[in-house]
Amino acid sequence: MMTNEARELAMVRAPVLLVSAAAWIVLLIEPAGTLVLTHCAAMSGGTMPLALHTSASLAAGWLLMIVAMMSPVLIEPVRQIQRRSFTHRRARAIALFAIGYAAIWMVVGGLLLTIALGLAMASFTPEPYVAAAVVACLAAVWQCSPVKQRCLNRCHAPVVLAAFGTAADIDALRYGMTHGRWCAGSCWALMLLPLLVPTPPFWSHIAAMAMASVLIASERLEQPAPPRWRVRGAGRAIRIVIAQTRIRLTSGPTRSSHALE
Amino acid sequence: MALYTRTNAWDGGGTFEQNATLLWYAKGVGVMMSRMLSDPSSWWFFAAIHGEYVSMGRFPGWVSIPPPPSVEATPTPVVQVWQQYWDQCQHQSWYFLPWHRGYLIALEAQIRSAVIDLGGPQTWALPYWDYFGAGPVQYTIPPAFSQRRLPDDSANPLYVALRYGPDGDGNVFIPTATGIAQHPNDPNFVYGVVTQSSMSNDLFTGSNARTLPPGFGGPATGYSHGGGTSGNLESNPHNLVHSYVGGSGGGRSGLMSDPGTAALDPIFYLHHANIDRMWASWNLANANPSESAWRNGPAAIGQHNFVMPLPSGQPWVYTPADMNSLSLLNYAYDSLPAPPSVAPAATMMADRLTRLGALAAAARVKEGAPVAADTKMELMGASATALPITGAGATTTVTLDPGVRDKMAASLAAPSEAAPPDRVLLNLENVRGTHDAAVLSVFINLPEGAYPADHPELLAGSVALFGLRSASLADGSHAGQGLNFVLDITDIVDRLHLEKALDTDTLTVRIVPHRPIPDQAEITIGRISVYRQGA
Repeated sequence: MMTNEARELAMVRAPVLLVSAAAWIVLLIEPAGTLVLTHCAAMSGGTMPLALHTSASLAAGWLLMIVAMMSPVLIEPVRQIQRRSFTHRRARAIALFAIGYAAIWMVVGGLLLTIALGLAMASFTPEPYVAAAVVACLAAVWQCSPVKQRCLNRCHAPVVLAAFGTAADIDALRYGMTHGRWCAGSCWALMLLPLLVPTPPFWSHIAAMAMASVLIASERLEQPAPPRWRVRGAGRAIRIVIAQTRIRLTSGPTRSSHALE
Repeated sequence: MALYTRTNAWDGGGTFEQNATLLWYAKGVGVMMSRMLSDPSSWWFFAAIHGEYVSMGRFPGWVSIPPPPSVEATPTPVVQVWQQYWDQCQHQSWYFLPWHRGYLIALEAQIRSAVIDLGGPQTWALPYWDYFGAGPVQYTIPPAFSQRRLPDDSANPLYVALRYGPDGDGNVFIPTATGIAQHPNDPNFVYGVVTQSSMSNDLFTGSNARTLPPGFGGPATGYSHGGGTSGNLESNPHNLVHSYVGGSGGGRSGLMSDPGTAALDPIFYLHHANIDRMWASWNLANANPSESAWRNGPAAIGQHNFVMPLPSGQPWVYTPADMNSLSLLNYAYDSLPAPPSVAPAATMMADRLTRLGALAAAARVKEGAPVAADTKMELMGASATALPITGAGATTTVTLDPGVRDKMAASLAAPSEAAPPDRVLLNLENVRGTHDAAVLSVFINLPEGAYPADHPELLAGSVALFGLRSASLADGSHAGQGLNFVLDITDIVDRLHLEKALDTDTLTVRIVPHRPIPDQAEITIGRISVYRQGA
């Protein structure tokens, strides 16, 4: 029998994943809306000014990326808000959380896009292989660093939400911003990389986004741990697949071969 | 016939002279204590499997624990070994009971191996400490644990310096109803009573008429090394017994009151044998979860497996499903009472409907009319700010949302089997701090100046903060979420309704510790909230 807890989690999970899926579909069918800096660079021999993308379209494209890639990791915080808010305030609190969260990512996005464009222009080639390689190295180092672990841990940090009035609104907004801050601290390098992946083909950009998404979702499944240098990847997702496959193949739990006696 | 039978530690008066099982336990513990921390067969390694503060310098860092026992904090095993075995204990989880069952069996195998080497019985099994046992003494720790010397005048490995007891004076007893009755001049503010009331639950995970959330065995979680909400058996008696036996004194907490030191105290395993026995008793009438997520354990969702070192040095990997049946594991208890017979859920509902004045509905329910089951939870009120708990406790106000309160009040005013009255729950959210030995009792609308123990009718419940420190670490496995507690205040709210006192915008919540909270404890309740559970 499904517990109340499981039922309420499912009620959050389904719409959030739906929103994410919708954003992915838009990205796939409307490539012009995506942020492929190399398109600009290719058209102008590597010196295309930012003006070709209006700032509004840049912002919209970035927001679409955030919605597609980040929504799945917001299931738990949204569940927290839902559980801890009055029924009649839930939608409003979740909206305020989302605004706070998105606001942080939009600011970070501005910085990342500026860096990406700067790197693309500085690499003096139609395809920013050098820039992509540099960022890939940087992302790998960040991925293994203790600071990354600290950010990941804070993504699971407790939140105390006021229940009434303006205080509740402020807390929801603040929760979104705090969560966004640690999320951006954890994921910025993984988000920068897809911006610099050489294209064409166009799908290489989408593939890079998809890989980053799997990594981001998977590492969020890991439990918080003491910050230290460590290789972090999609280990949990891979372990789940292996364990579940084994269970289905053996149609029962794995048993130890060692006798107790 | 099971090969291994666990017996009552109070057999033979709980003394070495008349209870050979205890004497062999002491000798086995002595052998394990003589081994190095890095040896998977050592006492210290096994304690670290539960939880550890090996690398911490200040107390409760193991290096700072005053003897006896002389706790080994070095040499640590190679990193792969401690990552494989240490810090596994499952708390605030539906894995609490099965993980600890495997842990007991593994420890027992080590002790038995040492006992056999010393010429003892081949079928040695752990004794259990049944603090609810009949008679005037079983609520106290068996005497074998309190004496400093064994009969041969060697040091007693079962004796531990940091075991303060509920009054902080080294007198170790459990404040069960019997225990409290034997201590009429209670020096404390109020005892949180250790009870077996969770044995009347009939749901392992979840809630129903007889079962408070999150259920008898705990909430559905992944791998859970502390943090969150304890299951009902885990909360009381398990957590309370830990905090009371360990206690605190002289600025230190007792070993038993913190999961990172608890298994250093040999009484730990007797306490857990009793918890395991209660689970086995409960299973005489109730089932464990059938979900694959429980049966296959956290390893099936890509997390750490449950693994113990055997005396052979080989790892033993087990799942909760492997722990389902004691008899299949070749274990038995000398006494396994059936869980207390309780009124069927329908009778309980009929009684409540009667109390609320819905006599016709009560009659229909008694005659077998089905009662609608809806377990929707809805926030009804909350405190405004975090509440620090210091000294003699703290008081706060929970403000109620008028709309939700009216919905709840309406369900009490005109209840029926189709629209049963709401249940009302009080949550202590994100309790954080460093004082695991604290036991907090929560009172609703206690008059100012009233002596809490005089008002059991206003008591929402008592909780122990066992596991508080590790659950509060920002970089711990639950990111410093702290502990959560759920208390049933339905009866209190029913009474307010009948006294026509429910038309209120606030409830006053008073938190009373059983002993003064030390200044450095830094206990904070993130928020106190009230939920209605109903249609």
